[in-house]
Amino acid sequence: MDTDLIWLAAIALEGVVLIRGLRAALLKKYFLFYAYIACILLIEILRFCSYRLAPGLYPSFYWNSELVTIVASYAVIFEIFRQALRHSPGVARVAQRLLLVVFVIALTSAASDLLHGGFASVPRVAADLGRYLRYIEGGLLFVMLWLFGRYRISFGRNLLGLTLGYSLLVGLDVMNLAFLSFHGNEFSIGFRKFLPITFLITLATWCATLWFFQPDPVQPEESAIERDYGLLAAKTRAVLAHMSARVARTLLP
Amino acid sequence: MMALIPILLLGALILVFGVRLLVQWSRNNRARPVTIEDYSLARTALDSVLVETMAIKRVFATDDRDFISRTGTPEVRRFFLRERKSLGLQWLRKTKKQVGQLMDLHLKLASYTYEPSPKFELRLTVNYMCFILASNVLLAFLWLRGPFHAVRTVTYTLRAAEHFCTVFSLRLEKINSVKLGPANEPRMA
Repeated sequence: MDTDLIWLAAIALEGVVLIRGLRAALLKKYFLFYAYIACILLIEILRFCSYRLAPGLYPSFYWNSELVTIVASYAVIFEIFRQALRHSPGVARVAQRLLLVVFVIALTSAASDLLHGGFASVPRVAADLGRYLRYIEGGLLFVMLWLFGRYRISFGRNLLGLTLGYSLLVGLDVMNLAFLSFHGNEFSIGFRKFLPITFLITLATWCATLWFFQPDPVQPEESAIERDYGLLAAKTRAVLAHMSARVARTLLP
Repeated sequence: MMALIPILLLGALILVFGVRLLVQWSRNNRARPVTIEDYSLARTALDSVLVETMAIKRVFATDDRDFISRTGTPEVRRFFLRERKSLGLQWLRKTKKQVGQLMDLHLKLASYTYEPSPKFELRLTVNYMCFILASNVLLAFLWLRGPFHAVRTVTYTLRAAEHFCTVFSLRLEKINSVKLGPANEPRMA
């Protein structure tokens, strides 16, 4: 009963996020994110139907669809990257290189682990692949969050909510999948029960922060007389300061 | 079980960095964006650090100590040592604070640069770490042994500060100042 309630609440919240995105004209701006929400909404509905109508098929359907969900969630990471570093092309270039390195390392490590593990069954392979893809995603997200913090990248309310919700989802899922990979781990059973609630919290975060369109902090306009004057004054001050420093340095023994 | 630790750490760090982003956002809401004024002040502060660095060599110079040792009374010597120690500590604390502020501004200004290179960033970070380490060691030395027993560390700290300032100056040269704000006003679209 509780599971059904959480499930239905998640479906309802995903629907609300989509509808609000449409109404608040956010759909165009965060297209990839809303495409991801539409994808997980569809998957949740199909899972619910499968659970009710064909319970025998549910486990294999769950793991295969989980793989699709994880692949689709890469769209969100790309969306966050695109939106957050829109006005910082220099930082974006640094980030691109760094993310590429992390991606290649993580992918190589995951592929090697997967090949060594052998292929037991299709759902098992899907589950393992999904787990590794989530780890890679976690690595990429970690690097991105570190870069945002280091370069003091400014976020608007919408993008902040999107990033926070996503971090909560990926962070906890990475931990959960790590526990699940160790069979018989009692902690993972309790942790697994906690996950649907965190997913609801994530959806509620997205719902609240993407309810209205909120303006992003933007770069100033590029052509204003005042700005040019200010720039000239700043450069003159800098030259004067530099000259006085040189004079002082020369006078000192 | 050991393989579990890095993955758990990754998950935990994602959550921690998420919270840090939230804190940073709440601070940014109160703080204003980088303006031309900040840029100009950073240049001035940078030059003042360089000038002070040159001047402070005099505080740690052994010539003065030798002179006082030769001519002064024990009381004068004690006073001289106390004064120099206090000057050294004050300078070190102030320089640490100024360099910290410059580093903070540098990170903010990174968004305004044409082309921040990873190599440059790494070098700057290493320089900053070295400076912090050297200045902390020097602070401990000054407390424990006085200003004239830490000459090597002083020289290293001075060099580190100068080098850091030079590297930072290069960053300022590369700032696309056209993209900076004209005044201290909030900018929201």
